[in-house]
Amino acid sequence: MTRRALSVVILLFALTGIAALAQATLDRSKPPTPGPTPMLRVPAWTRSTLGNGAELVVSEKHDLPLVSFTLTISGGYNQADPAARRGLADMTAAMMSEGTKTRDGEALAAALQLLGTTVAVRIGGETGAIAFECIASRFPATLDIVADMLVNPSFPPEALERLRAQRLVALVQARDQTGAIASRVFPRLVYGDAHPYGQNITEATLEAITRDDVVAFHRAYFRPGQALVTVVGDVHAAGAKAAIEKALAAWPRGGEKPVFQYPAVAAPRASTIYLVDKPGAAQSTFAIGTTGPPRSTSDYYALQVMNTILGGMFQSRLNANIREEKGYSYGVSSSFAYGKGPGAFRAGGDIVSAKSDAALMEFMKELKGIRGERPITDEELSTAKDALTQRLPGTFASVRSVNTAMVTLWTQGLPDDYYQQYAARIAAVRREDVVRVARQYVDVDHLVIVIVGDRATVEGPLRALGVAPIAITDIEGNPVRP
Amino acid sequence: MRKIAALLVLACTPAVGTLMVAQSAPSRSSTLRIPFEGYALPNGLRVVLAPNHASPTVAVTVWYHVGSKNEAAGKTGFAHLFEHVMFTGSGHVPYGVHDRLTEGVGGSNNGTTSRDRTTYYETVPSNYLETALWLESDRMGFLLDTLDVQKLNAQRDIVKNERRQRMDNQPYGLVGEIISNTLYPAGHPYSWDVIGSMADLTAASETDVKDFFRLYYAPGNAIVSIAGDFQPQQAKALVARYFGAFPRGAAIVRPAAPPVTRDRETRLVYEDRVQVPRLVIVWPTVGRGSDDRFALGVLDAITAGPRTTRLTKALVYDRQLATTVGTSQDSDENAGEWRLTITPRPGVPLTDLESAADGILDTLKAEGPTAEEIQRATAGLELDFVNDLESNLGRSMRLADGLGYENDAGSFQTEYQRMMAVTQADVKRVANKYLTKGRVVLSVVPIGKVEMAAKPSESTPYRRTEQ
Repeated sequence: MTRRALSVVILLFALTGIAALAQATLDRSKPPTPGPTPMLRVPAWTRSTLGNGAELVVSEKHDLPLVSFTLTISGGYNQADPAARRGLADMTAAMMSEGTKTRDGEALAAALQLLGTTVAVRIGGETGAIAFECIASRFPATLDIVADMLVNPSFPPEALERLRAQRLVALVQARDQTGAIASRVFPRLVYGDAHPYGQNITEATLEAITRDDVVAFHRAYFRPGQALVTVVGDVHAAGAKAAIEKALAAWPRGGEKPVFQYPAVAAPRASTIYLVDKPGAAQSTFAIGTTGPPRSTSDYYALQVMNTILGGMFQSRLNANIREEKGYSYGVSSSFAYGKGPGAFRAGGDIVSAKSDAALMEFMKELKGIRGERPITDEELSTAKDALTQRLPGTFASVRSVNTAMVTLWTQGLPDDYYQQYAARIAAVRREDVVRVARQYVDVDHLVIVIVGDRATVEGPLRALGVAPIAITDIEGNPVRP
Repeated sequence: MRKIAALLVLACTPAVGTLMVAQSAPSRSSTLRIPFEGYALPNGLRVVLAPNHASPTVAVTVWYHVGSKNEAAGKTGFAHLFEHVMFTGSGHVPYGVHDRLTEGVGGSNNGTTSRDRTTYYETVPSNYLETALWLESDRMGFLLDTLDVQKLNAQRDIVKNERRQRMDNQPYGLVGEIISNTLYPAGHPYSWDVIGSMADLTAASETDVKDFFRLYYAPGNAIVSIAGDFQPQQAKALVARYFGAFPRGAAIVRPAAPPVTRDRETRLVYEDRVQVPRLVIVWPTVGRGSDDRFALGVLDAITAGPRTTRLTKALVYDRQLATTVGTSQDSDENAGEWRLTITPRPGVPLTDLESAADGILDTLKAEGPTAEEIQRATAGLELDFVNDLESNLGRSMRLADGLGYENDAGSFQTEYQRMMAVTQADVKRVANKYLTKGRVVLSVVPIGKVEMAAKPSESTPYRRTEQ
């Protein structure tokens, strides 16, 4: 513990000799020795259950007159959207802001504006949320409106048609962007149409959604038995609970957390390049990856360290090589999605068209390297661990980030002392663990390699490279006959 | 900007700043204290310190008063290219150490370049404050010790990729550049885009880099702003220790970049690789020096956004001619722009959208806004202000901007008060003064579909001069 012992000396020096410090000879040749690592201060919270069965977590934070509120629902479109009506969850979320039985859409928007806030309703893949942030004095009034949106939405039919039309245009616009195309094609090719992770919103699924679907979805999904309410900020726990009980009194009891069961993913195919033609594109978007483990995997901490070395930071191997050394890109990275199911491992970025072949070679080199061909240095291991553990204190800086931290414990089923134990878990990861999880999860023989770019420029060089066979697909990932 | 995931944050005599915040519309008000202290070193370096012990982290922002407006024609994009060079290592800091001692200890770093200024920042655990000052002072004092043409060339390629990713390969990505080229007369320092042209990026030389550094990256042209968990006494000693010995630097002649007025409309059509057309209308407005920017900001807030706003209500909700409508009011240091962007519903001609929007704006100009519209627009400002100042990084940047542009780190308070004080008459006046026929109307249409432009026969094709 050299760092800590030295730090104490520095601290004493700082306390006793600030004037001397300024005059002492400055040696710039070495980085200053940092003081002792600041103690992690995990915010305290209180947990209780509301009369209707929803769970409540309140964490007080009084440095600014702000409150962050989130009502989280366990389960998302992967559990609740029928494949033929993909987009129903998103549509229902949007329809919640279109008016209530006593306030039409415009009155609702005006009321929230006068309170100086906006309420976001979002349903993601495995959770949904109604959330807002407000000045503390306006919390009760905002809460009343949110309760009205939750319990009494009116779902006007004309709003459904307007929102549908907006989404149809957005789908067309997404086809102009190489990145958006890759984000549709990659999951579809990794998981297939039978798996919720592989299903996309299309014109047909949007057209199929009816108002009755929205009404039924809302009734089945927004239920207190699968809900957590989190309040963080300038409130008192007892007062906040009383206000929430009162506001949500009309929300009837019922519902339970969903079971997250996914169909098995078909056995992966040998690595293949799926080339999507985007004529004239100045850059190719790369999405390279495969299925990954769920968040609950016991390999989570080793994977975090591994990915930080591979592609989680600016000086990670992928970016240091492909951006900084070679200059092929403005930035490349890798990540694990860590779902309740087999969330994807994905590496990629935008590559200048003329260097698509050279960049693919470098991607493959680094993916193989992390599996053992390029040994992990002591510095790589310690930097990755420091980066992961020392960013934790900063994540409790704002009311919103504290709220997110509380929600994460609940949605991921993590223990109450998760944040306190995090550093020890990361510290326990050994070099051999990193290599082991790289070999297990960065399966270089079974990669889906999606490249969206100008086929006329990139196809020839990619074929000459011979890394993997090339299949030409359309912008939805369907095979195209050569 | 150096990294993709960068934050776009809004933008010193001893003083303690206090932000008055109205707690509920007309009746009560309470006080939000944002303590800060400003001073200058003998070499001209200005310093702001804002202690905040909410979490054990600290943000250091170094603000240089140089941006793309300081470039010459034929050397566009240089200020931003230089920003990248600042991350390639310096006399005592080998390449890579900067990331190792910021992101690698749980923090972050980045830089941003605008027309007027270049900022660099680190957020780090509070025990790394001295490290951050060591890093920043080394590149202020010793950048050229290790600079060579290889480093410059590597960053040049990366910046070209940044341009491709943000603009050339992005649907509608060239709109900003086209507007700058058109709204300002040739040679005006705001007439080129911050990222510059590919040809100019290719031409930038090592000598250019060195001259630029010597002139602009000196204490007399810089601000160090620190917010977070530190003791001011110790921070003062550290800033003096690491920055105090550098020479002030030469006097800088600031380029004239006056606000522009236009006496007639300019109409353009640009063919892009898009499937859905888009209408963009831009009016020249004012820079940060004019208080009209506050009323223009309120005008922006009542025109588009929530469904109660004039254009959004009419075009997206009531008449359903558009899928999205957006407006923005941006005041740079010397001049500003008020922009309207509309995406049509399928089959709705841009010509119809333009005349519908004009009709609504004409009504607003004739009648002025209602009292409730002003109230709705300003009610959200309070939350925006507190949110901006909640993070140490937001705080350090906001204080530096105030000091750099208004010579008052606490100018965020006057900004807030002036925005809250905007009246119906103010908004009516600025709408009539600035939303005139002297504007640029740009139609972006799919390739080969110039007939989809708004009033196509009156619109001139915009030709890119280079790729």
